[in-house]
Amino acid sequence: CRLNIDGLLVYFPYDYIYPEQYSYMLELKRTLDAKGHGALEMPSGTGKTVSLLSLIVAYQRAFPLEVTKLIYCSRTVPEIEKVVEELRRLIDFYEKETGERSSFLALALSSRKNLCVHPEVSSLRFGKEVDGKCHSLTASYIRAQRHSDSSVQTCRFYEEFDALGRQVPLPAGIYNLDDLKSFGRRRGWCPYYLARYSILHANVVVYSYHYLLDPKIADLVSKELAKKSVVVFDEAHNIDNVCIDSMSVNITRRTLDRTQSNIETLQNTIQRIKDTDASRLQEEYRRLVEGLKEANVARETDVYLSNPVLPDEILQEAVPGSIRSAEHFVGFLKRLLEYLKSRLRVQHVVQESPPQFLKDAFEKVCIDRKPLRFCAERLRSLLRTLEIADIADFSAVTLISNFATLVSTYSKGFTIIIEPFEDRTPSIANPILHFSCMDSSIAIKPVFERFQTVIITSGTLSPLDIYPKILDFRPVTMASFTMTLARACLCPLIVGRGNDQVAISSKFETREDIAVIRNYGNLLLEMSSVVPDGIVAFFTSYQYMENIVASWYEQGILENIQRNKLIFIETQDAAETSMALEKYQEACENGRGAILLSVARGKVSEGIDFVHHFGRAVIMFGVPYVYTQSRLLKARLEYLRDQFQIRENDFLTFDAMRHAAQCVGRVIRGKTDYGLMIFADKRYARADKRGKLPRWIQEHITDSSLNLTIDETVQLSKHFLRDMAQPFKEDQLGLSLLTLDQLQSEEMLKKIAQIAHQI
Amino acid sequence: MDEEPERAKRWEGGYERTWEILKEDESGSLKATVENILFKAKRKRVFEPHGQVRLGMMRHLYVVVDTSRTMEDQDLKPNRLTSTLKLLEYFVEEYFDQNPISQMGIITTKNKRAEKLTDLAGNPKKHIADLKKAKDTTCVGEPSLYNSLSLAMQTLRHMPGHASREVLVIFSSLTTCDPANIYELIKSLKALKIRVSVIGLSAEVRVCTVLTRETGGTYHVILDESHYKELLQYHVKPHPASSSSECSLIRMGFPQHTIASTCDQDSKPSFSMAHLDSSGSGPSLTLGGYYCPQCRAKYTELPVECKVCGLTLVSAPHLARSFHHLFPLDPFTETPLQDYQGEKFCQGCQGELKDQNVYMCTSCQSVFCVECDLFIHESLHCCPSCIHSQPNPPGI
Repeated sequence: CRLNIDGLLVYFPYDYIYPEQYSYMLELKRTLDAKGHGALEMPSGTGKTVSLLSLIVAYQRAFPLEVTKLIYCSRTVPEIEKVVEELRRLIDFYEKETGERSSFLALALSSRKNLCVHPEVSSLRFGKEVDGKCHSLTASYIRAQRHSDSSVQTCRFYEEFDALGRQVPLPAGIYNLDDLKSFGRRRGWCPYYLARYSILHANVVVYSYHYLLDPKIADLVSKELAKKSVVVFDEAHNIDNVCIDSMSVNITRRTLDRTQSNIETLQNTIQRIKDTDASRLQEEYRRLVEGLKEANVARETDVYLSNPVLPDEILQEAVPGSIRSAEHFVGFLKRLLEYLKSRLRVQHVVQESPPQFLKDAFEKVCIDRKPLRFCAERLRSLLRTLEIADIADFSAVTLISNFATLVSTYSKGFTIIIEPFEDRTPSIANPILHFSCMDSSIAIKPVFERFQTVIITSGTLSPLDIYPKILDFRPVTMASFTMTLARACLCPLIVGRGNDQVAISSKFETREDIAVIRNYGNLLLEMSSVVPDGIVAFFTSYQYMENIVASWYEQGILENIQRNKLIFIETQDAAETSMALEKYQEACENGRGAILLSVARGKVSEGIDFVHHFGRAVIMFGVPYVYTQSRLLKARLEYLRDQFQIRENDFLTFDAMRHAAQCVGRVIRGKTDYGLMIFADKRYARADKRGKLPRWIQEHITDSSLNLTIDETVQLSKHFLRDMAQPFKEDQLGLSLLTLDQLQSEEMLKKIAQIAHQI
Repeated sequence: MDEEPERAKRWEGGYERTWEILKEDESGSLKATVENILFKAKRKRVFEPHGQVRLGMMRHLYVVVDTSRTMEDQDLKPNRLTSTLKLLEYFVEEYFDQNPISQMGIITTKNKRAEKLTDLAGNPKKHIADLKKAKDTTCVGEPSLYNSLSLAMQTLRHMPGHASREVLVIFSSLTTCDPANIYELIKSLKALKIRVSVIGLSAEVRVCTVLTRETGGTYHVILDESHYKELLQYHVKPHPASSSSECSLIRMGFPQHTIASTCDQDSKPSFSMAHLDSSGSGPSLTLGGYYCPQCRAKYTELPVECKVCGLTLVSAPHLARSFHHLFPLDPFTETPLQDYQGEKFCQGCQGELKDQNVYMCTSCQSVFCVECDLFIHESLHCCPSCIHSQPNPPGI
């Protein structure tokens, strides 16, 4: 239907609309009007994606000069595909309504592994191998060599694309990954490079976070995207961790060993080239003297998205003389490597700031700050000059040089921690150097600065006010939406005590307590006898899960549970887990019933949906706090306190609760779905924990669902499940599902205004 | 531990918290709302006239009763098993009352296997007797949906095409222990046009949802005991026949009941054919009975399928009673008492009309009270005053 959102004509590809979708679009429109950033929370299964797409596409059509492009960032490939399908539906609807073929171009972009059509390369299993192999077939000097020597292998798809693909733009339409591949096969063009080239003039681009947040990739892919774009980060509740991960570097002994061999290869290659083709190195040297002027010009004219790894200062200067020549640079790298090796030979934990590290480096091996800064750029130039085909092999030395640049550029927001062994295994020496980013705003800052509107959205983004703080941006809209329901299809219960009145909690003092473990076991046992089909149980960590399951086994609880349902366990092994998941779903499907024991922050808690019978109940055993003894975390907490005035406890609770919300949110994936959410820890009843859950869960927690005993929980669950099993008449119409007429009624508009909860 | 007063105690958990819907009226009295609740409960039975559709009148129904471990749960009083068996006795009576030319059998399942409690038969007595006996069974192990359904299927597949083949599963457990993939079985049930309905005693189980959806049955989960009874009641009425079921003329015999007088020289006590195989129980030698018009085999009870020549033996009133399903009495219109002008007496019981609403027959405009309305629709199936006004009721 056609909607009027605050004066904007929006085509909505469904006959009915949820009230919260309308409300969501209103907020979104306001954000776009203000050309500002926004953070919006709306429960999953309420059509967030389609609301986003239809409003922004409508906005693009109405104001083509204001908003030129939508960049939609999602997390996984299946999610990307889903977005593209929604978009296809929307554009089909446009064509049907307006009767004209639209000139709309939208496409998904993913890694080479998902897009490659080269018969040999695409059969490789790992992403890295594909990238490396692709590079060895398409690098410019390889192709140049082919002119003289026809035995050199190249990729014919890339050749075709390079010859023809850039002249003719990709025809208008919606392309998911498979569409791109089949188009590429038909034309004989490389889909990956075609997609990368086409995102520049596409109206909508759907890709993964990393293409925008990871400086190494963003520099290649997203550098030239127009400023007047709208960027959407979907499922953004973990965005700060993605930012931090993309800026952090971990160096182990293995990395150093591989760097060593990298450097040797470099040296040999340089030697060889020097003997055969010395002019090439001369040419490079000349270029370096001129400095990185080009990049500087580009940045000043605001053509590119800036790269946080390439700090402003170095653009203005020439590469320092000490590392300008290739041999000197390799010598420099060697010195750096030796220094790092010596640092890893520690017996106790060292924590220091980047300036301390630099000072120490200067004192010990006379490495100055300035050449360090140019390290990453210099290495890239060298690799280009040396025409090294398989770039994947040089990941170790690239990592080291990135580290060198980062450590010398940022004096704040990072910390260096060197640990001689892991905490759990103090006897095994496994030294590791963490160069850890503590400020998530560093990686995302260019995005906020460059694009006029950035929307951060997710089903669980509570408490909303912390995100602007840790990401350091000023949003114009922040809102949390609730779910309007025809029936109360979610039932959050907080279990605080066992039947023996012993308080249950995963807190450190009581987690080994046999009574607590037994009560947890009893809870699972009782629930397994009243909940049909699938139950998903989350523990706070793998270690805790192992301990508990072991003592359940000893107490015989496990055996009793198995009389009701089969038990599957998530492990750290991805293949094992996906096998367990598959069998779990099979057991739910054919009426055997199953329990999946998994871990908060694990793969299951983040990416897997348990629709309908695959998850009728989620049990959250304990509050999933991060491992607070970790030095990285401590350093980050300290930083957050000093820089952003966020108290340690607030952040820890926030982090624990968002993961808890993520876990329990797995069961409700739509309005026809239903599920129990059981929080098995006394501490959830406290206002400071409860208040940090998303509003759409919070509003279903009543006083009578706090601090229950196991028996009471079972009674309430039974009651809830029976209620939910009653035939669900499609009477949500008019209440939680609206037609156009209903939407326009005065009364409904008033109700809708209450759905959005501004912060 | 400080208990909060509003929390439900364990012993309260099972009850509906009706006080939550109570509201005081202006004078502060609860009477009006209480009456309203009672009243609604009476009228709860929804009338869903099918209109003119073909009904599967000759029903062959297997009732599968779960007697697994979960049946010992005490959320129905005294426990699920006893409560279920009691309700089933009532159901069996109702079923044969409303569907005289139909048959029924009972299967129980526990400990991963299924066994027949009673064979498919048209006589309520034996079923009820066996149900009574079943009260002492111990509930152990898990049920097997697969085994019970395939057991039912073995018999039902040989039933003639014009008869409706049905299975009603009373499913208490949340799991089923199956020897093979149940989805294959569902496919073959669907192919054989066996309609499977499920009444769940605890919660919605996925496999039952699929099972009922695929085979065209219904799936309900009980809320409490009265709801349970209602759901069983729902299965008493015949359901519309699937359009693909065969139409055929059926040969039926209408035997006369002959009582041989003792003075008749030729009369000898004889065995009823129905009693021959069920060894032991009941008086086997009788004087009179129904004699099959085709082969003269004797039966003491109708309806029955002749053991000798396979003829369906019924009596005329049986057919007549099935007949009303095809032409259900239209629901009476409900009007508030104050709007109704006229004599405030019920045409049925002659009592004074006191409830909020009165019910009016759409054809003869007579009014009835709630009780009479229910009685007319559930038992009589015709409006007494319509019959009364017509001196010659339409022939049956």
